[in-house]
Amino acid sequence: MQKEKIRNPLIKRIPKELKSEFGKYAVIFLFLTVTIGFISGFLVADNSMTEAYEKSFEKYNIEDGNFELTEPVSLEMKRKLAEENIKIYDNIYLEKQVLNENTTLRIFANREEVNLICLMKGRLPEVEGEIAVDRLFADKNKIHIGEEIEIDNRKFQVTGLAAFSDYSALFSDNAEMMFDAKCFGVAVVTGEQFQQMSLTGLHYSYSWQYEDKTQYSRQEEYEYSERLMKILAMDAGNPLLKFTPEYSSQAIRFSGNDMGKDKSMILVLLYIIMVILAFIFAVTIGNTIEKEAAVIGTLWASGYTRNELAAHYIGLQVIVSVTACVIGNILGYSLFKEVVAGMYYNSYSLPAYETLWNGEAFLLTTVIPCIIMLVVNLFILYNKLSLTPLKLLRNDLAKHKTKKAVRLPEFKFLARFRIRIIIQNKSGYFLLLIGIVFANILMLFGLMLEPLLDHYGREVEEKLIADYQYILKRPAATESAAAEAFAVTTLQTDFSKKNNEEITVYGIKKNSGYVVRNNIPLNYDTSGVYVSEGILEKFHYSIGDTLNLKELYTDKTYEMTIVGSYDYPAGMAVFMSNEEFCRLFGKEEGYFNGYFSNEEIADIDAGYISSIITLNDVNKVVRQLNDSMGSLFPLIKWFAFGMAMLIIYLLSKLVLEKNASSISMVKILGYGTGEIGKLYISSTTVAVAVSILISLPVSYGVLNFLYAWIMSSISGWITYYIKWTVFAEMVFFGAAAYAIVTFVQYRKIKKIPMEAALKNTEI
Amino acid sequence: MFLKIKDLKKSFGTGENRIEVLQGINLEIEKGKICVLLGPSGSGKSTLLNIIGGIDYSDSGAVIIDDEPLKDMNEKTLSLYRRNHLGYVFQSYNLIPNLTVKENIEVGAYLSSQPLDMNELLEVLGLTKHKDKLPAQLSGGQQQRTAIGRAIVKNPDILLCDEPTGALDYKTSKEILSLIESVNQKYGNTVIIVTHNEAIKLMADQVVKLRDGQIRKCYMNEVKVSAKELDW
Repeated sequence: MQKEKIRNPLIKRIPKELKSEFGKYAVIFLFLTVTIGFISGFLVADNSMTEAYEKSFEKYNIEDGNFELTEPVSLEMKRKLAEENIKIYDNIYLEKQVLNENTTLRIFANREEVNLICLMKGRLPEVEGEIAVDRLFADKNKIHIGEEIEIDNRKFQVTGLAAFSDYSALFSDNAEMMFDAKCFGVAVVTGEQFQQMSLTGLHYSYSWQYEDKTQYSRQEEYEYSERLMKILAMDAGNPLLKFTPEYSSQAIRFSGNDMGKDKSMILVLLYIIMVILAFIFAVTIGNTIEKEAAVIGTLWASGYTRNELAAHYIGLQVIVSVTACVIGNILGYSLFKEVVAGMYYNSYSLPAYETLWNGEAFLLTTVIPCIIMLVVNLFILYNKLSLTPLKLLRNDLAKHKTKKAVRLPEFKFLARFRIRIIIQNKSGYFLLLIGIVFANILMLFGLMLEPLLDHYGREVEEKLIADYQYILKRPAATESAAAEAFAVTTLQTDFSKKNNEEITVYGIKKNSGYVVRNNIPLNYDTSGVYVSEGILEKFHYSIGDTLNLKELYTDKTYEMTIVGSYDYPAGMAVFMSNEEFCRLFGKEEGYFNGYFSNEEIADIDAGYISSIITLNDVNKVVRQLNDSMGSLFPLIKWFAFGMAMLIIYLLSKLVLEKNASSISMVKILGYGTGEIGKLYISSTTVAVAVSILISLPVSYGVLNFLYAWIMSSISGWITYYIKWTVFAEMVFFGAAAYAIVTFVQYRKIKKIPMEAALKNTEI
Repeated sequence: MFLKIKDLKKSFGTGENRIEVLQGINLEIEKGKICVLLGPSGSGKSTLLNIIGGIDYSDSGAVIIDDEPLKDMNEKTLSLYRRNHLGYVFQSYNLIPNLTVKENIEVGAYLSSQPLDMNELLEVLGLTKHKDKLPAQLSGGQQQRTAIGRAIVKNPDILLCDEPTGALDYKTSKEILSLIESVNQKYGNTVIIVTHNEAIKLMADQVVKLRDGQIRKCYMNEVKVSAKELDW
């Protein structure tokens, strides 16, 4: 008799099982690792960089705002501001053309108090003739440390690449809709060097800071800055040229507002993949149990408990999943994090970041997938193990047996044979349908963006109100015949403190030549407003509903009845008559602060213009999405293709394995591989074709639902649109995936031995 | 008496399709004896064996082993009962394909706190030189020997064999029956063999003939014939 307790010998099966099904587990492992790695990398980088950005306000002592005067600020003004508990810092700069005539470099003296610089590489300038430039500007223009750039015919050696805390987005002017880091950058030289350079062309820019900003609410800060602007504007001898509080500074806030906006899209991707992987796990484990039913029955009959069997059969999947989670996380925190951070650094001039442990990423990418895997597997396992050992021993796994044969029409024998195969394997083909639907949801996700953005771009162009929209700081007259005055302001939705979205409110002339439907101006006779269709679609409003909006920096709210919609895809906008606008916002009759025009207006002083909105500007959402996600979508497409192949392979393999003894039997009868293929593979082909066709409208519907969720976290609205060619591509990719799998399945049919027919004899 | 079966009834189906597989079986089997359940297909012999083995349920009646009625056991106790007292051998060997002969036997040994000596058992089974082979590398007889090894290694009180030679040729069948006989002699387990092969009854201590769910004949062999001497 042996005394020592034997280690569970079933454990020895695990490496052998892994070896025999290496391809299958390798693919599952790769999918899981890449998914966890990329998404965890994305969330970690996103969180770490957002945190670094948020902390940069304190770390680099970012200003509370800046203003530019025509002349240096007077001592008198400094005294007045000091009385208001506002401290002023020099932020004087020069602008020089470098590299070519389109590229401007804004040069500052070394900063020591506010808007400090984060040195990314090299060192700050220490002597004359040295310069440190913005890292992103340098990247875009291929400027490296040690190289020289020419400014005013003088060579400057680049000593360092830096991130300027007040220029995380390289806007040269706050009125710009979009920035261009290749054509505009910032740089710093020594104080002495700056003195030498600043004989002419100085911009008298100053940063301000409140004594203690934290004590002010957003509204108080807004009121404070309004008061400051009035004080500065009082000095008629030194006109105020620019005034930008920090909260409205695009250079400071744009990157922070943009970061994390892709998160919802990434999470949708994660959820789709997780559902697919759970499905694959379920199919894999179900397949294993079906294959091993007799062995499980024997072990169970021998005294192994249900829990011991469940633990054994789940073992390999747990090992594969946990290993994928560990490696995925390692890759997430290293390789993929760098990739995602690189994407951010390619768009914004952000400071250096520290990688932060992200509990949410771990939960979403690791804990939840593992729980899904465990729950799905255990559910399937215990469901199968709810059968008696005897049923397992007899390979009798169906809970409900078909009592009668389905009566078929008098088709030819082979056609009836195929139909019988489909009927017999209907549960397997149903799984195939579900799998293909999942894969095509992912595929549609990968294919939809490009045509959707193209379509949106065209719609915006076609339905643009005017080629130019001039937004004025204060009313200014023009002689241009093409110009039509309007009033405009910005409110925001009033849903909650978070996620409120800015809405542009227009006051339009009643006989407008620009805001027209079928060349007829909108009817403003009824009391109420027209809203852009994006507002109806995004916020689920209908005609007749009340739209609640509030002011950006105060709690004042407005109620408007929606009387109609206006097809204006470029923005989230409300249109009302100019009279109504003036009444609602307390403006004098005839007030306006903007012009629509199809021609450029040349006779308005630039100082009056707050911004000019052109087609290029309204297509910003398209560019942003293309920039941030454009390269990701082709990857998703190929990932989905691989996933489709895996699903079709696993499920058609399941059908073949279930029919192994029948295939073996028809081989014994003298059928050739080709003929067997025609019977069994063509049945699967019909099932795949039908599944692909069904998956098209289903994936369209599912994505429509998910799309609304994605768009809810992105500013603006892009109408859900799937081009027909996308469906054609889905069919093509599905067919291609199946063709590859079929090739493998033919080889499998060839390998099924004739003895298989004799194996499963009745007990 | 070690194993008592009292008025055991079992039926399948409902209405017109109802088949009474066991129609009130009463049987007693002594400890350490070999009992052969004989009968044609559909006679209920496998069903009876499965109910004794706790993997099928009767509609009424009782199976009592060592004064312990099976019916009172819940699933967990039944698992423990199978674990501690039973060994199963089937017509299809149901070996784990990616474990070696020795590892397959260890699958049974793991269930026991005092399993038989592995090397000695391999010798008894005649599998010593095949112990590192996979099932696919073995003949049918060798596979069935391995299955018997897996069942016997935990030294069960009862060894249940359901058509153990059903898939084997004459010579191999006799070898397997000899093995079962020697296992019974060496380890003293109660052995119940289900078969439709009349010749096997000669090696039994007790013979039970079933037909249409009823015991038609039950007797003790006064003279047993060694498995090696069986002929059919």
